[in-house]
Amino acid sequence: MTGSRQPLVHSAVDDAGSVTRRDFLRVIGSGVAVAGLGACIEPPRERILPYTARPPEITPGIATYYATTMTLGGFGTGLVVECREGRPTKVEGNQHHPASLGAAGVFEQASVLELYDPDRVRTPRQRGGVGGWDAFVSDFALTPASGGTEQGRGLHFLLEPTASPLTLSLIDRIRALHPAVGFTFYSPLAFTGAMEGARAAFGRPLQPIYDLSRAAVIVSLDADVLDAHPFCLRYARQFADGRRLRTRRDGMNRLYVVESAFTTTGGMADHRLALRAGDVADVATALLAATATPEEVRPLIPLLSRAQSEGPATSWVRAAAADLRAARGQSVVIAGAEQPAAVHAIANALNAILGSIGTTVRFIEPLLPAEAPEHALTALAAAIDARAVDKLIILGGNPSCTAPADLRFSERIRNVRSKAYLGLYHNETALDCSWVLPGLHYLESWGDARACDGTASFVQPLIRPLYDGRSVDEVLAVCGGLPTTSAHALVRELWSTQPDFQALWARSLERGVIENTASPPVSAALDWAGVLPVLAAERQRAARDSIEVTFRLDPKTLDGRFANNPWLQELPHPITKLTWGNAALLGPETAKRLGIETGDEVSIAFGGGRISIPAIVVPGHAESSITLPLGYGRSGEERVARDVGVNVYPIRTRGAPFIIPDAVVRGVKTGSSEPLATTQGHFTMEGRAIAREGTLAAYRADPRTIVPPHEIAPSLYEPVAQSGDQWAMTIDLSVCTGCSACVIACQAENNIPVVGREGVLKRREMHWLRIDRYYTGPAENPRVISQPMACQHCEKAPCEYVCPVNATVHSPDGLNEMVYNRCVGTRFCSNNCPYKVRRFNWFDYSFGVPAVLWMQRNPDVTVRERGVMEKCTYCVQRIRRAGIQAATERRALRDGEVVTACQQACPTRAITFGSLDDVDSEVSRSRRQERSYAVLGELGTEPRTRYLARIFNPSPDLTV
Amino acid sequence: MPALFPKWSDSLLRACFVAFVVSAVALPTFAMIWVRTPFVSGKGDPVRQPIEFDHRHHVADDAIDCRYCHDLAERSRYAGVPPTSRCLNCHNQIWNDSPLLATVWTSYFRDEPIPWVRVHRLPDFVYFDHSIHVNKGVGCESCHGRVDRMARVYQVAPLSMSWCLDCHRSPERHLRPLDAITAMGWRPPRPQEEFGRTLRTLYGVREITHCSACHR
Amino acid sequence: MTSSPANRIDTPIVLDTDDDDAQLTDRLLAPLRSKSKVWYALLALSGAGVLLFVATSIYTFVGGIGLWGNNIPVAWAFAITDFVWWIGIGHAGTFISAFLLLLQQDWRASVNRIAEAMTLIAVFNAALFPVLHLGRPWFAYWLLPYPATMAVWPQFKSALPWDFAAILTYFTVSFLFWYTGLVPDLATVRDRAESRGRRMIYGVFALGWRGSAEHWQHYRIVYGLLAGLATPLVISVHSVVSMDFAITQLPGWHSTIFPPYFVAGALFSGFAMVLTLLLPVRRVFHLEEIVTDRHIDAIAKMLLAMSWMLIYSYVCELFIAWYTGDPYERYVFLQARPLGPWAWLYWTMIFANVLAPQLLWWRSVRLSPLALFALSLVIQFGMWMERFIIIAGSLSRDFLPASWADYRPTWVDLSLLVGSIGLFLFAFLLFLRFVPFIPIAEMKGLRREIRGAA
Repeated sequence: MTGSRQPLVHSAVDDAGSVTRRDFLRVIGSGVAVAGLGACIEPPRERILPYTARPPEITPGIATYYATTMTLGGFGTGLVVECREGRPTKVEGNQHHPASLGAAGVFEQASVLELYDPDRVRTPRQRGGVGGWDAFVSDFALTPASGGTEQGRGLHFLLEPTASPLTLSLIDRIRALHPAVGFTFYSPLAFTGAMEGARAAFGRPLQPIYDLSRAAVIVSLDADVLDAHPFCLRYARQFADGRRLRTRRDGMNRLYVVESAFTTTGGMADHRLALRAGDVADVATALLAATATPEEVRPLIPLLSRAQSEGPATSWVRAAAADLRAARGQSVVIAGAEQPAAVHAIANALNAILGSIGTTVRFIEPLLPAEAPEHALTALAAAIDARAVDKLIILGGNPSCTAPADLRFSERIRNVRSKAYLGLYHNETALDCSWVLPGLHYLESWGDARACDGTASFVQPLIRPLYDGRSVDEVLAVCGGLPTTSAHALVRELWSTQPDFQALWARSLERGVIENTASPPVSAALDWAGVLPVLAAERQRAARDSIEVTFRLDPKTLDGRFANNPWLQELPHPITKLTWGNAALLGPETAKRLGIETGDEVSIAFGGGRISIPAIVVPGHAESSITLPLGYGRSGEERVARDVGVNVYPIRTRGAPFIIPDAVVRGVKTGSSEPLATTQGHFTMEGRAIAREGTLAAYRADPRTIVPPHEIAPSLYEPVAQSGDQWAMTIDLSVCTGCSACVIACQAENNIPVVGREGVLKRREMHWLRIDRYYTGPAENPRVISQPMACQHCEKAPCEYVCPVNATVHSPDGLNEMVYNRCVGTRFCSNNCPYKVRRFNWFDYSFGVPAVLWMQRNPDVTVRERGVMEKCTYCVQRIRRAGIQAATERRALRDGEVVTACQQACPTRAITFGSLDDVDSEVSRSRRQERSYAVLGELGTEPRTRYLARIFNPSPDLTV
Repeated sequence: MPALFPKWSDSLLRACFVAFVVSAVALPTFAMIWVRTPFVSGKGDPVRQPIEFDHRHHVADDAIDCRYCHDLAERSRYAGVPPTSRCLNCHNQIWNDSPLLATVWTSYFRDEPIPWVRVHRLPDFVYFDHSIHVNKGVGCESCHGRVDRMARVYQVAPLSMSWCLDCHRSPERHLRPLDAITAMGWRPPRPQEEFGRTLRTLYGVREITHCSACHR
Repeated sequence: MTSSPANRIDTPIVLDTDDDDAQLTDRLLAPLRSKSKVWYALLALSGAGVLLFVATSIYTFVGGIGLWGNNIPVAWAFAITDFVWWIGIGHAGTFISAFLLLLQQDWRASVNRIAEAMTLIAVFNAALFPVLHLGRPWFAYWLLPYPATMAVWPQFKSALPWDFAAILTYFTVSFLFWYTGLVPDLATVRDRAESRGRRMIYGVFALGWRGSAEHWQHYRIVYGLLAGLATPLVISVHSVVSMDFAITQLPGWHSTIFPPYFVAGALFSGFAMVLTLLLPVRRVFHLEEIVTDRHIDAIAKMLLAMSWMLIYSYVCELFIAWYTGDPYERYVFLQARPLGPWAWLYWTMIFANVLAPQLLWWRSVRLSPLALFALSLVIQFGMWMERFIIIAGSLSRDFLPASWADYRPTWVDLSLLVGSIGLFLFAFLLFLRFVPFIPIAEMKGLRREIRGAA
């Protein structure tokens, strides 16, 4: 429990990473916790150190919430962050923000841990020289507008592409003052295929914005819009809204997906076509041919006729085409970010032909540079070789690791005379630079950002910088020799031009969005002249039998930037359930061809590089295709990230940043010398009705074929006394994408420790909420179904009657309570839990961590000591907090007043929580649905968590 | 063959048996009594504070309401130990040159908190919430005793779980009107039992004895 | 021991020696005087085991259960298996003495004390594991009903408090029973002792026994009563232990046949352990005339009978699993165990507990000490396997395939098992050295009866 209640004032961390005692004990008039769980002996008298003057905004013991924005891949997502006595502890979505709609994904959720990461850069240091900001400034900064176009020649900034108005304006101002200063944008998270595609179809680069809520038919051409997209939280919500069944008569959208690797989106598909990423273009062409009428595509007929004749998966294409035509104006075709311009062009053409532009898709002026990042970086490399760069300032990112291998960018950086890196970590790039500058976490800094529809919002700090850091904007301003250099002043200065600024400032900070800043849609008229050459251009298409290799941003570390975040490292991969590492994903046939099984290695050579990486065989993965997740095998100085997984960048080149049509692949039988730390070992249901599913048609015809009526089994045990609210949860499997946001949300809310790779290998992961993942459907083209599994809060809980000391008991409001301080650790309860959702503290997981990490802990939740059981509590701390609030106000709780952490995070609103006592509550209504069922209900456990069977909506013309 | 043991050894043996049986009962009994004594609960020993702050003077003589200093009691989990600035609201006018206040002034000007010593300590796995108790008619006095008579504050309750439960199982015995929450030495107008029952219905006080009410 | 077993088998039930009381007594006391090197060697060996056990226990207390191989779902594994195994072994003793006493099987006299001692040690051993196995052993006393300042009581629906009570009772009664039987012989040792020191020590433990008619009368009453008390306990203890599993609804545990099934298994392993100990002792101290082939033969037959009770239980389990049609039960019994990753364990167990004992149909095997000794080891090994398969095996394949996981023991798990065996032998060796392990008084009594009869 130590640390569970330590409050902390700003900038309270000394260099040793421990919190300085004075600040540590400081603040609230309610003191600190010292003893462990079994506090039976009187400890020495504690001290209580109150404020000398309490800040007005802080009421000790009461959480405060602030709106801010997290920027990822250049785009912002609006968040609301919980703050306890001055410490940000929990990130939640902001319902007012278009990119969030109230949800927060895994990265947003986990970012709060990044803030307190003990490995962060603390002070500005120069390798083998003096440190300090002043020294840096005197080395690098330009003097304020001393004029002269030569001023600043040789100075070059390397940033990540961003849509932040402030950053862009600063760059413009610097360019105006010093035209010679160079700027380059690079990030593996920036994709330009869409804009190229728009250039082809509409004559100029445009950025598509989709409205899936209005789409009855969605065709994804290798686009993982539900999980890997700056707008994925919004799209997931819209997709779910178009799919959510309240009654049997409700309609449902239909999702066609063609992709190589199994993605979250593919897992939700009604019809998924597993195909090499390189062949998606052919499918797209065929789809165009099958959808459009001849007169619509006269110019293309020669091309299309070919496509049609050789088109793979013809039935899939025909069905999709038929549906698209049938749903003119209510359909949308989305091309994947990694796909070449041609595919995007076709998608645009289809959307144009189907009259979707203006309804399900609109176009806005690009917010990010249209130039391909690899391209931009090449130019910089050339400049460096030409000795045209003698001062390189790298603001964020990690190009030394992520730049295309053939650029050998790491060496090039080292060739620059003086180079500085601003960032959170001593990563590969920092090691290449002479200057390493502490960056600011977004929770520490002022700034602004744009969501990818253009909506602007402010970034406001929740805590004073923990270390001596500066934000990107501040460093830009200083080095660019601008007069103002504090981010707060800069952002106010920029927006003060707006009418009625004071009001706008106050309102925007409070709501978390700046109203009416979304980019206006621009007209986009299809122009075949542009499409034709793109299609005609002979792609380097792989021979049928050659093995293609594709690179994917990892769903947990992206390009590697989150690799030092233990929560994300231990988060199971949505499909493979792999933690602490990456693996090459490939289909069963391909594995046979290479003569390997899961756990063996594949060795891949390309572009002068060679890597060797453990393989995981994934049924449903496209054959003759291998997927390599980026973002592992980091070699920086981050202690968590270092040497976890395999670095695949060495074979990623400018020529083939996403897809290698044919690489030299060799299977290596290792006999799984390096075991893979997965949290699930068995992916079939063994014919047990655990995660139920069925087609919409079947559901309409007779729900009992999917969910047989549930009769309550007789029981010898007398029912527990019930009074007041009766808490219950419903999880809708139809809209659960398995994105795992809930898992991290739960971890952040409930002080759940990580156990590390060794722990996972021993099957001791502590997640209260796990997501079980099963294969269903035909073996050759399986579907996946994700089933969030946490304590079911059984009314007849098997765990309760076997506990010898009454450490797990039932509350009158229907909670299965776990009393840590009473637990002696017999683990009998876990044995008798049919859902195996209980977790045991095999070691003292929470106490060894650096003190700075204590600051993230939720003071309302006990930190568990060694030897006790723990499990999902339905966020009882939130229930009690709300209950006390209501009681002091002498009123009953309202439906929706208690929101669990997982429910709050869920992008698709798959989780409903509330009281059964209120028959009209959302949860009561959802339980009355005919597809609501209890997992293992036949055991008579009467779980309070119910599941809504997954209904999918296949085309009648296709067999599933 | 000569007797191996003297006569009395039989009685000794019997005595040993008796002693064994007795201690088997006595020792646990002693232990159970011991944990209920102030030696363990820390009840009743006045705590020396960095400043000779006299509650008798401030509460009784000056009749300052508890909530003036402990201002969070009605809103928050914590009653709140007052910030230094609170002391100076008055003491920058009165007794502002008193040597007793030296610590306060240093604290204020150096911006260093006064290291008060905790009197009432609950284990960290106990989530006691002042606001709900205060709002449901549990007076300060009920747990903290006659603070107005304490030179140095001491713990009057054992703060054991069974002590909490005594009240949680029959709250009416300790309820008082909301306007008398901070009153010291308050007496019920009618017999507490029945008066308490009226208040119970009035304030909607329930018998909350399930674990997660306090352990989360 | 030269003549063929064939005719040795019709010797009188016990004893075929011609020496008089004094000589007999001397023979039976000989071991207490012996200064055998072998004994010291064995003591040293087992002593090392004790150290290992103590060391690993402390390591576990300090480091936590994480040092073991357990996980979720397999939250119980080695430690609990060891516990059940030892408890089981601790059954034959009381059964032999109490049951057979009530059934007036006089021949028991020559083996009962060894069996009882074995029981006590085994039960003590067993009792260590549940405590060691707790996440927070320092709170083990919370399982006891006492008026705590927390105003919380144990939960009596759980089988663990039952266990606590059952084992404590069993140990106490077994101990009293054993000690009562010991008193007259301790007196004999006292009287025969040379040094005053020995006389004093044994004198104290002999509680002033003088062998008067009055003493004998009280003795018989108490002994009889205790026997009556102990007998039901033999059944109750392991039935209760089995309920740790039977009351759950885990496939593979959730079964009404468990109590008799476990008792049978317990006696099976118990008798095996009796043989493991008895045969060498008999050989080393040349007690063939006292522990005759008839005894060995009888125990062997017991083993055979028990093995069939066990076989019956196995068959029942399988049949019921199939008959209920419950998919989870079926999976555990018809797939996970015989075909799963631990199939080799299962089949070894079948060999050890089902096939091997059938050798006992042959008299030659029953009368060959070597074969019996080997067999007894095989059986105990098999019984450990059985408990492990039931406990860890069932846990690793329960309801939701997503939560299935396998289990691998660590060196700590293994050390605790080996160490506990060391502890057992250590205590047993001390027993052999300092306590008359063949009841002298009863033997004399028996001999008179036989003589009278003859």
